[in-house]
Amino acid sequence: MATLQKKGFLIPRLLAAFFIFVIYPHQLKAKIQFEKNILPILERSCLKCHGGKKVNGEVDFSKIKNQNDADAQYELWEAVVEVINAGEMPPEESPQLKEKEKAMLLNWHQDQLNSPVESIPGTFKPRRLSGPEYRNTLRSLFGFDLKVAVAKAQQTVAGEESLVLKLLPKDPPGASGFINDTHTASLSPIILEQYAFLTDAAIEKLFAPKQRSQLQYLMGENLPNEWRPEKISQNEARSLIKNFIPKALRRHISESKINISLNPLNKLTGFELLNALKFEMKAIMLSPEFLYRGLLMEKFPGEQKPVDAFELAERVSYFLWEDRPDNELMNLASNGSLLEPEILTAQVERMLKEPQAMNLAESFGVQWFGIANLDELIKNPISHHSLRNQPVLFLNHLFTKDRPVIDLIDSKTTFVNEGVSGFYGQDRGRMKRHSKPKGIERTTTPFQEFTLEKATWRGGIITMPGILTMNRGPIQRGTWLLRQILGVRLGEPPADVPPIKPSPRGKNLSFRERFERHRSDASCARCHEKIDPLGFALDHYDTKGQFIQNKGKLPDASGKLPTGETFKDYSELKEILLSSQKEKIVRNSVERTLSYAMCRKLTRNDQPTVNRITKIIVKENGTWKDLFVEIVNSLPFRETIFKEEIQG
Amino acid sequence: MRKSWKIERRTFLKGAGAMVPLPFLNLMEARATKPIIGSNDDTPPVRFVTLFKPNGVHPPSWNINGGTENDFRMSPLMKPFAKHKDDLLILDNMGDFGFSSHSNSTRRFLSGHHGNRKTASVDQIIADKIGQDTAHRSLELTTEGLFVNQIGCSYISYDKKGNSIPRESDPQLVFDRLFRNPTQDPNRREEFTSLLDRIRDDAKSLKKKAGKEDSETLDEYFTVLRETEKRLERINVGSGSRVNFSKLKRPDTPVTLDDQVEAMLDVMAMALWTDSTRCISYMLGNSNSRLIFDFLGINKQHHYLSHFFRNFSRSNIDSLLKISLWHMEKFDSLLTRLKSYKDGRGSLLDNSVVLFGSGMGHSDNHTAQRIPIVLAGKGGGMLKTGRYLRYSKNQELGRLHMALMQKFGIDQKSYANSSTPLPGLDGSPFDEFQERPFESWVNKAPGTITAQGRLRMSDNLDEAKVFYIDIEGKPSVRIEISFGDFHSFNVAYHVGTPIKLSGNSSEKNGQLVINKITGITSLFGNSKPGKANG
Repeated sequence: MATLQKKGFLIPRLLAAFFIFVIYPHQLKAKIQFEKNILPILERSCLKCHGGKKVNGEVDFSKIKNQNDADAQYELWEAVVEVINAGEMPPEESPQLKEKEKAMLLNWHQDQLNSPVESIPGTFKPRRLSGPEYRNTLRSLFGFDLKVAVAKAQQTVAGEESLVLKLLPKDPPGASGFINDTHTASLSPIILEQYAFLTDAAIEKLFAPKQRSQLQYLMGENLPNEWRPEKISQNEARSLIKNFIPKALRRHISESKINISLNPLNKLTGFELLNALKFEMKAIMLSPEFLYRGLLMEKFPGEQKPVDAFELAERVSYFLWEDRPDNELMNLASNGSLLEPEILTAQVERMLKEPQAMNLAESFGVQWFGIANLDELIKNPISHHSLRNQPVLFLNHLFTKDRPVIDLIDSKTTFVNEGVSGFYGQDRGRMKRHSKPKGIERTTTPFQEFTLEKATWRGGIITMPGILTMNRGPIQRGTWLLRQILGVRLGEPPADVPPIKPSPRGKNLSFRERFERHRSDASCARCHEKIDPLGFALDHYDTKGQFIQNKGKLPDASGKLPTGETFKDYSELKEILLSSQKEKIVRNSVERTLSYAMCRKLTRNDQPTVNRITKIIVKENGTWKDLFVEIVNSLPFRETIFKEEIQG
Repeated sequence: MRKSWKIERRTFLKGAGAMVPLPFLNLMEARATKPIIGSNDDTPPVRFVTLFKPNGVHPPSWNINGGTENDFRMSPLMKPFAKHKDDLLILDNMGDFGFSSHSNSTRRFLSGHHGNRKTASVDQIIADKIGQDTAHRSLELTTEGLFVNQIGCSYISYDKKGNSIPRESDPQLVFDRLFRNPTQDPNRREEFTSLLDRIRDDAKSLKKKAGKEDSETLDEYFTVLRETEKRLERINVGSGSRVNFSKLKRPDTPVTLDDQVEAMLDVMAMALWTDSTRCISYMLGNSNSRLIFDFLGINKQHHYLSHFFRNFSRSNIDSLLKISLWHMEKFDSLLTRLKSYKDGRGSLLDNSVVLFGSGMGHSDNHTAQRIPIVLAGKGGGMLKTGRYLRYSKNQELGRLHMALMQKFGIDQKSYANSSTPLPGLDGSPFDEFQERPFESWVNKAPGTITAQGRLRMSDNLDEAKVFYIDIEGKPSVRIEISFGDFHSFNVAYHVGTPIKLSGNSSEKNGQLVINKITGITSLFGNSKPGKANG
């Protein structure tokens, strides 16, 4: 269904409202009925290609028979309104909609949007741990990492160092765009075999002499120096199982369930006992309860209910840490106090101070802003290290140091090392220098937190060298800004775009001038009038992201937004972003964060939550921590709906 | 460091003797009853192993000077593996003209010529021939990460299209794949099957309580369990192997580079011995290895040190030689391991061909001549070892590769730049380097000298970038030049051969010194040995 052109939530609404007011204001009051007014239009003008014999672009209107069906597909209607407004549909060669029909559709859609939406949590669905979640869970469960042995050297890329990430197939981003949305990444025999392999490797390692302290911790027993795995006693084996299972399955486990794993150990000794113990631990680690989240949650079929305390602990922990709940969270879940908002809020504050909170920037931040695009683009490992880690450290600072959400766009704080210091003009002089040891040819250098004084044109994420390099040229930059910062949904460009023509003979046109001729076509202009001003505004930064200081050669970076606001260059555009566009940026931040936290795409029923949190953050200049606290206390996070059917 | 691995190895070997199941213990006797996967007669299979040394060598420490095919003394750098002299075939005068880059030296090493970028490397061609009956056709191994700026530095093995083949660096991972994989090991398969049974039973009780969404997830999970079980059953039926790997010792997690390499060499020997594979290529580092050998007390990068002319200091050259000696010890380590395993009527080494070497000679100016190349093992009789073959002229490595392919029964009309195999490996006649008579003299003019004689590098490590021209009956002429001269006249190429050299000179305490070269002519060889573009 996704191939119709989609746009943001706000713009079509504004456009539609404009359309209606100017042309058919009287129709606003009419109540339009889907079956009576809309269905006939669809049947006449759309069904031939979308649901009759053909289902072009995966859009099938034949399945939508009444208002209820239609309500369930609100994104489809956004796209429909979009293409009708743009005159793209029906296609030129087909009979066109009458103005009256067009207005009818738009008004009906407007009614739909204006109709109050109930805030409803998502329907519960078990979800397999993503690769990074599985890696982190193993790490915190066992207290060690499974790493690939590779000798490290400067200027050399060790490849994937985590054995887990190396062996597991890469998770594709789900409908939400985030890889923790594993709802559609199903288990396969290959993945199961890799899990089995990793399970073996982890259990082997746990019993290796070097991991003795970790084994003692998991067992809750002190082991004498001369202890050997094959000397394990019944008591030691039983303690290990009893401690291990609730930690692995991330909740309280009944005695009868634990006994299933204890019984096979009865009366065994020596190697036999050891092997049986390992076998039971492996069985736990390959069980669906370990590999999936939510299977052991308390269920209330057919009801909407708050999730139980252990599920809440998992939700908050996989959100902020990408990892299983630690002992403190487990204890608070055990006594149920985690369900109290103040206690949960205090936990968020604590969790943001722990090192695992870096995973928010490393996973959520990197995926949101597409920072991994640099991995393919920058081959030199030293430049890559600098360009990639700078925005990640900056995001980590915003997320964990209670910085305002809008600091994303402008901040005096940044993080620099030698690899990016050359991008900071006169401020470079105040940076601590790093001296290279003799005999080392090239080396990565540590980052320092740095306060901008002169180079304020570098403040915020948009003008970081890595981000500017990653998005070469005004079109990529504009698209990135529109999508990732302002949260506008753009379709893919059509496949048949002709190349940009060179300057006509005798004229020396800039890229911008040539591009403006190129996109004069209406169907291109529809997106490009939004993309281009943003992108060209960054033209004072060259393709590598260097700020052009030579005033004589400055390209034209001025522009006008579709809202009518004008600016002479990016510094003025930034002022606009921080004022009139602030609400939009905050809304996008709220939507992305909520979507990542829920591991799913947001629905229309999440909009009340998004609206409410956006309002609070905008009004109070809220911080990222405020945002996280609002999310973990919000309805979609705290509650879920259980489907009715039960199978016997 | 060495001590610790020795203990481990001994433990392992003891383990191998005492714990390894019957087919391995009595490999020799049992062979008649087809103990080894895919082997149909009682001749042990021949294995092919390559070991790559990064960053060339310090030539005066490596080269054998003088000596003949059967009467020679091994060089200082060869000391660590000198005990295997009878199992070695040391080749000299291997390479091509000109200079090597780090990134193309890897093609030279196994693909015959640095320009041969479109065909498989020799190990892969041989693997195609001998690797079909084993569980793993070949293994491509390394120690270090990828050098992405010049990706060629990181690969020696290339597929049919000349594309690099991914390599593995983790000995535990390789071990587990070879020996702990349910598809390879029946014991493992049995355990995995009962594990799956057990999990299914547990999950069934979960399903009884499940709602719709849970149930869908669990169904997906059960389907995968079933598919995996079916696959295991198929393997059980299809496998004729009775090999039990469960007693092989899994290597410990390496701490230092030395641990990592020793563990990998261990796994390699086990892989060959169990006939899990017959073809392995292993890189001791990228061809421009930036590794730091801190466990040897060295904190400078290997690549930096390898440019010992430009980065000259006595301590640097000492460090470089220590690193090179470590490489040689690893070669020794591999050979010692291969010898310690019985295979057929001899040792595993007797039934293997090991190719050890580098893709360039002099590590500072990258000359592509006199590249270190040593073959080890008799290859089941295909090689006649215990000899030193110094060819009369520079031999491209493609000829060596052709000869190896021929020995492995591969008929190839040409390879890389070469169209005839290198003679001599099996004891057949070859064109041996002959010392030809020449006169040596020195002509002095004010400020300049022309000298004719044999060029040599100083063997005094305090002046490792100094050269001498030996003049009969007179003191040698000392050559102390800039890197520019050293490189643009490719002085390293001429080392060990007679030349006529002119240059600007001075005299210090009666010692004639040339400070700047104006011309260099080889008496018998090529005076313009390639372009300085390495």
